[in-house]
Amino acid sequence: MATTPDPQRHDVVFEEPTGPLAVPGVGAVVESEFASVSVRLDQSGNSVRLRVEDLRTGRVRFLDALELESIVWLEDGHLTQLLDPSHERWRG
Amino acid sequence: MTALLPPEIEGGSRFDRLVQPARVHGSLYTDPSIFAEELRKIWHRTWVFVGHESEVPQPNDYVRKQLADQDVVMTRDKDGELHLLINRCAHRGLQVCDDKAGNSSSFRCPYHGWTYRNTGELLGYPYNKGYGGKNKLELGMGKVARVDSYHGFVFGSLAAEGPSLDEHLGAAKGEIDRLVGLSPDGQVKLDAGWLRHRTRSNWKFLAENETDGYHPQFVHGSIFGVTGSPIGALYSDNSTAVTRNLGDGHSENDLRPEFRSFAEPMRWFGTTPDRVPGYVAAMHEAYGDDAQRRMIEGAPHVMIFPNLFIAEIQVFNIQPVAVGECVQYATAVQMAGGHELNQRMVSQSIGSVGPAGMLLADDTEMYERNQRGVEMADPEWLDVRRGLGRESVDAAGFTIGAATDETGMRGFWTHYKSLMEAED
Ligand code: FES
Ligand SMILES: [Fe+2]
Repeated sequence: MATTPDPQRHDVVFEEPTGPLAVPGVGAVVESEFASVSVRLDQSGNSVRLRVEDLRTGRVRFLDALELESIVWLEDGHLTQLLDPSHERWRG
Repeated sequence: MTALLPPEIEGGSRFDRLVQPARVHGSLYTDPSIFAEELRKIWHRTWVFVGHESEVPQPNDYVRKQLADQDVVMTRDKDGELHLLINRCAHRGLQVCDDKAGNSSSFRCPYHGWTYRNTGELLGYPYNKGYGGKNKLELGMGKVARVDSYHGFVFGSLAAEGPSLDEHLGAAKGEIDRLVGLSPDGQVKLDAGWLRHRTRSNWKFLAENETDGYHPQFVHGSIFGVTGSPIGALYSDNSTAVTRNLGDGHSENDLRPEFRSFAEPMRWFGTTPDRVPGYVAAMHEAYGDDAQRRMIEGAPHVMIFPNLFIAEIQVFNIQPVAVGECVQYATAVQMAGGHELNQRMVSQSIGSVGPAGMLLADDTEMYERNQRGVEMADPEWLDVRRGLGRESVDAAGFTIGAATDETGMRGFWTHYKSLMEAED
């Protein structure tokens, strides 16, 4: 429907939040307007790991069970420090 | 456009001349300088309805909202506390959040990467040597000065000082109580999604119209006809319903006298108990002997100054854009523990305020034609005298008029005038 709206008349929009995403070959995507990562289980090693990919750069990190457990136990303050852009990625 | 000031009236304040007991001047709807003054003295000062707590149910949820001309992010932090952030980066002023809704403990500005917690606090910035290291800046996102809520309805005031939300709501609180009292759990949710109606009309036409009981028989003839609704008949000279000035600019159409005389539960909703059995059972369970009264009297029809309109089954959030433009956000009320009533509330709302709905489109046609009309030169005034000679004071001390009287509008204007006459 490519009609030009009459600027004198009212228009209606339904404001929908974004839904869940599972992209074939990429896995489940955890995404917000600030970041986009895919997560899937990787079984190529001797224990199962989580494969996390930053979809905006293609950088991949594997997280093993102990690393994931450590993230669960991270103090909020430490997690917040990791979010400081100067902490690692834009330290230069 | 109507002349800026009526010349024939001398003396008094500017608003004494524009706002009179039986008439208001057309320039109130068309003069950009009055609109600018309203932003300062009303929208940036008083309590304004922004959204509902149920829109951010989880820790770190956020939604973008409007507070008049301000783009606001309503967030729930990790500890569950609500914040209204002004969507502006402290570095060079970029809009930080772009999505309508999301879940994130922190927000990263896309321009240079400054990163904020969802409380507005600056958490970090890239290449921090340029600032002498980390935590060197006493900056953060702006915040709406005061945030408070009543039964989950979230209000913001951009003024650090002023009446409390409790004082602002005054008698209108009782109407919100009535609404949540129709939920078996005593809670409503506004999580069904908002329809955004852009409307080429001054915001005050909407605020006045919401409790105008004179127009429904004309403007809403089609929806009453199609649905066979008995509500239309309640807005006539024979009706026992009343229009009540609740003070502080708030007003209601109180249809309870009519519903009480019929004494039929769920008549207010246009249904019967056997069609919503789960809901009716839950109401009896929750409220015992009082359930019947609640289901007979139904939900409120109340306009809460300046921008929250609770119309029985739906809620409207009105936000001004310019002197001749505003936005109406509309959503269906959802009762916590409401069983099958909630689905019906959604379908009724789609029928009334949805894109092909028959209620709001008709009202909006009137708002927009009203705006075009008052841009004409003559007559300069809008008449608000209807029922002035037959008002009375009810047992609680509120001024009431008949169902079709302009008692609500007069209450609106009295409060409007008091705010506009205040110091800048
Ligand atoms: S404007 Fe936001 S980081 Fe520069
Ligand atoms: Fe550039």
